[in-house]
Amino acid sequence: MTEHSQPKAEVFNQNDAGNWLPLLLGAGAIGIVGSAICAFIPNLHEQFAYSWLFAFMYFFTLCAGSLFWILVHHATDAEWSVVVRRILETVAGLLPIALLFFIPALLCAPTLWKWWNIPHGADEVLDKKRWYLSHGFFVLRYVIYFALLSFVALSLKRHSTQQDADGKASHTISMRKFGVAGIPVFALSLTFGAVDWLMGLDYKWGSTMWGVYIFAGAAGSSMSLLVLIVTALKNKGYLNNVVTLEHYHIMGKLMFAFSVFWAYIGFSQYMLIWYANIPEETSYFIRRNVESWWYLSLLLVIGRFFIPFPLLLLQWTKKVPKVLCCVAGWIVLMQMLDLYVVIMPMLHKTGFSPSFIDLLALLGIGGTLGFLFLKALGKHNLFPTRDPRLPQSLQLTN
Amino acid sequence: MERSRKVYGLAAEFANATALYNAAEKVRDAGFRKWDVHTPFPVHGMDKAMGLGKSWLSAVVLCGGTLGLLTAVVLECYPSLFDYPVVVHGKPTTFMTVPAFMPIFFELTVLFSAFSTVFALLIMNQLPRWNHPMFNWERFAKVTDDGFFLVIEARDPKFSETKTRELLEQIGGQHVTLVHD
Repeated sequence: MTEHSQPKAEVFNQNDAGNWLPLLLGAGAIGIVGSAICAFIPNLHEQFAYSWLFAFMYFFTLCAGSLFWILVHHATDAEWSVVVRRILETVAGLLPIALLFFIPALLCAPTLWKWWNIPHGADEVLDKKRWYLSHGFFVLRYVIYFALLSFVALSLKRHSTQQDADGKASHTISMRKFGVAGIPVFALSLTFGAVDWLMGLDYKWGSTMWGVYIFAGAAGSSMSLLVLIVTALKNKGYLNNVVTLEHYHIMGKLMFAFSVFWAYIGFSQYMLIWYANIPEETSYFIRRNVESWWYLSLLLVIGRFFIPFPLLLLQWTKKVPKVLCCVAGWIVLMQMLDLYVVIMPMLHKTGFSPSFIDLLALLGIGGTLGFLFLKALGKHNLFPTRDPRLPQSLQLTN
Repeated sequence: MERSRKVYGLAAEFANATALYNAAEKVRDAGFRKWDVHTPFPVHGMDKAMGLGKSWLSAVVLCGGTLGLLTAVVLECYPSLFDYPVVVHGKPTTFMTVPAFMPIFFELTVLFSAFSTVFALLIMNQLPRWNHPMFNWERFAKVTDDGFFLVIEARDPKFSETKTRELLEQIGGQHVTLVHD
């Protein structure tokens, strides 16, 4: 109820990034060049393909999760998230670049997706799925996800930044339309993307919960990423009169909700497969519950759910940025482990076997995207200064 | 007839939510403990203006949820693993079969949490009850439409019929009225 004066517009100054810009660019260059060399060494080609897919999926899910939060913000006419929306828009704005990183994986398609080179008539199970698992349709689907997700993410960002300039309320109406129409577009793209690129690693295996499982991890980890970015900016002196502990409280609650949701979906998938005990379904968990993969699967369950759950259940932890950041950083790491346990057992069937190419691929994609993120952050205001709901967002109380 | 009844408190009407909010802050600062506000809709930040602090409802819900979880663990594990183990669907009768119990662990946790929320809420709000003294004041009917009310109860140690009336009038209260039980 106290009156707030309109805060001044803030633009990220590239000098505040310190050494991060050259570091990220260097890491990106080393990672991409190193990975590219490995791709052409016959012994390392297979490892490169899996490592690259793993790194791509990790950063793709973080960007796609950010798009999800923008869509929900507009579809529900949310007030609280106005002040953090520009950061989400900047992360989601990286989607076209992130999706371009899929092309090297696509070039390794015969290595990654075993159905790619199996001739007709060799496997009856596969022949029944040929209408979906065909080369042309597979590539076409990638192009469709790329076009739709990029279009939605960039349109939302464009409207939002234009509103900063002209202050027209019509942008809010347009963004609401994109928010509502974007939800099915996002849901279908992420679901079928997860089916094509991850479930397709074993064409005999299938789970109807796969899409929502990947989504649960993506949404929770991108909310955690947002907490980390906001805190980093606040440490540099930005957003201090804008993002309050009340916003942290809400972001913490959403991290909590999506830790529980991830566990709910993950367990539901596990229990149905365990209970029905059908060989083509159990293969997924058997592969991940043997050898040293068992320890990583166990760490995932404990780390992605049993550690964040009690920590985020308490109210005070969500209102202390340092504590919330520790949990957020942990969740972002657990998202990496999640995708690692999804992808890598398909290559290293005898157990956990880390490779330097995993690191190169992560550095290559992560460094490039991080660099582009910092560059993009400096181009616009750090929060939408003329959004009609900005005053309500500033006065947020839980 | 009215005079024989016990005094419930002094009530005042306020023009709008902002006026009531500001008045609440002043009543809080004056050190009153037994008082309340009544509005047609929730007013954000009112709990802070009234100095209410954190609700203890969450503690009750945590206890209820934990009790629900323990109930499910005992109800499922004792018969299925120790008392009368039966092999169902070829599943083992050891702790390895615990995934099958999880949905009930979850459901009973939620059920007990929900029940403890509802009952703790009823106790905290002193419900159910037949009537509330505030309804004895005719103007109070506006509370479901456009009335904003503040009432200081007579059982508050700081309550004084004259001084509290003065305070309410001073902070912008209109139609200050003595409400009887």
